[in-house]
Amino acid sequence: MTPTPTRPLPVPDEQSAPFWAAAARHILTVARCSACGLYTVPPDQVCPHCRTTDPAFSFEPVSGRGVVRSWTVVRQSFLPGFADQVPFVLVDVELAEQAQLRLIGRLLDGPDTALHAGDPVTVGFEDLADGVAVPAFTLAGPAGGVA
Amino acid sequence: MVGYAHSPVTRHAGRPLGAVAVDTARAAIVDAGLEVGQVDGFVTSALFPTAGSHAVVDGESLVSADWLAAHLGTIPRYVAGFQGIGQIPGMVGLAVNAVASGAADYVLLHRALHNPTGRYHGNPMTTVAGAQQWTAPQGFFGPLSMIALPYTEYLQRYRADRDAMAAVLVEARKNGARIPWSYWYKQPLTAEEYRAAPMLSDPIGRFDCDLPVDGVAAFILTSAQRARDLPHRPVYVAGYASSPPPPRRLPLHWPLDDIMTGGAETARRLWDSAGIRPTDVDLPQVYDGFSPFVWFWLEALGFCPVGEAHRFIQDGGIDSDNPTALPALSGGGALGNGRMHGIPQMLECYLQLAGRAGDRQREQATVGVACHSSPHYGGAVAYTSEPG
Ligand SMILES: [Zn+2]
Repeated sequence: MTPTPTRPLPVPDEQSAPFWAAAARHILTVARCSACGLYTVPPDQVCPHCRTTDPAFSFEPVSGRGVVRSWTVVRQSFLPGFADQVPFVLVDVELAEQAQLRLIGRLLDGPDTALHAGDPVTVGFEDLADGVAVPAFTLAGPAGGVA
Repeated sequence: MVGYAHSPVTRHAGRPLGAVAVDTARAAIVDAGLEVGQVDGFVTSALFPTAGSHAVVDGESLVSADWLAAHLGTIPRYVAGFQGIGQIPGMVGLAVNAVASGAADYVLLHRALHNPTGRYHGNPMTTVAGAQQWTAPQGFFGPLSMIALPYTEYLQRYRADRDAMAAVLVEARKNGARIPWSYWYKQPLTAEEYRAAPMLSDPIGRFDCDLPVDGVAAFILTSAQRARDLPHRPVYVAGYASSPPPPRRLPLHWPLDDIMTGGAETARRLWDSAGIRPTDVDLPQVYDGFSPFVWFWLEALGFCPVGEAHRFIQDGGIDSDNPTALPALSGGGALGNGRMHGIPQMLECYLQLAGRAGDRQREQATVGVACHSSPHYGGAVAYTSEPG
């Protein structure tokens, strides 16, 4: 993708900084609770699975594989930097690592891509600026190895 | 509930929202046969529902209960604002409990909605911190994509067709066209017009979204005992329910399973609170700020089987002109009135059950349900024409 520096750039905070540092190296990570070991998107003060108030989330690399649960073709944008990018597709992806672990990102295959619930995808990244990349997805095809 | 008033619904009122709210509140107090000094409780839920970067100014873009009481020149005993989602059931709960506890004798409940100049959901952010850092950089922002995702899931899962939604819009606008204060008064919509409108965030098109407006509604609530001495036949709050906390998700991520699982709990709470069953309801008023909510609510409340709402409506199941159908959008909803955020549903329950619906009066309506927001992130109120 062509870098588009006017798109909103994430401002990492104390909790999210490791996620964005890994994303800049094109590695997808997900917050994992140190108490129960389950993943959460996005992390919170309290683990939504075991309810510990000290989850000490660590961002651990994941496979980047998943399946499409839903999608939309965005034809009107409300944010800067997207006016020349519409129409684009957003996909709601359930990651392979855990049931109901869902991310939303752009599908990089283009706005006319035929999609079906259950289509396998794999993570890709859009470089938005120096040291800033956001996760996105591409269709993995039937050989993607996702059950 | 013993009286009401409703301002005209316009794109831009041409006057400050607060002034419209004061006029509407005064009219509601008169309608209930009361004087301003007798109203000792003020309740609202003042949220300005926009993803845009508009200034939030009390009296201009929203109207709090404190602001309204102060500008009516009265000193109430009880003032409260509901902070959660599902603003209408939340604030009806506050008002009912204020009356039941004796904290107030007569509560004025209002909702003031504002359409700012500029794009309603437009936001010039160039950096993003907090929860939206996980979604805005990807372009997932605002409610159109929010509702488009579970809508796509529904269409896929139940092999439904977006064209089926035309029946929802035709019904909402048919009823809205009969309501003099509606933005869409005398402006019905055809299925052809619906299908020809541009897509915004597939499968959401232009007419699947309600239109932002300036508008204010106010209602007066009191005890059943005090209501006997007032001019209008009272309508009774039989019960109310807010949704359970939703699962942890990305901002604005509402998977269909969350909507229907949470919606089942919302429904269970409603029936428990009101002591009624779905088959008792002859006036369901489902929320429709985005058209797919009509399908979700009908199914969540058990008015048709899960996965069947699209067929149920196409087969005339909610036709307000068919006495044997369920008139689920007889008040026009938000799609047929404008973005009044749950007020059209509440008002239709009030007008029909109080026998004040004029030409639109239904013979049989005795039990109404007014829904707001999403089944998993909202709530509903049950109203009856007789005390429970
Ligand atoms: Zn945990």
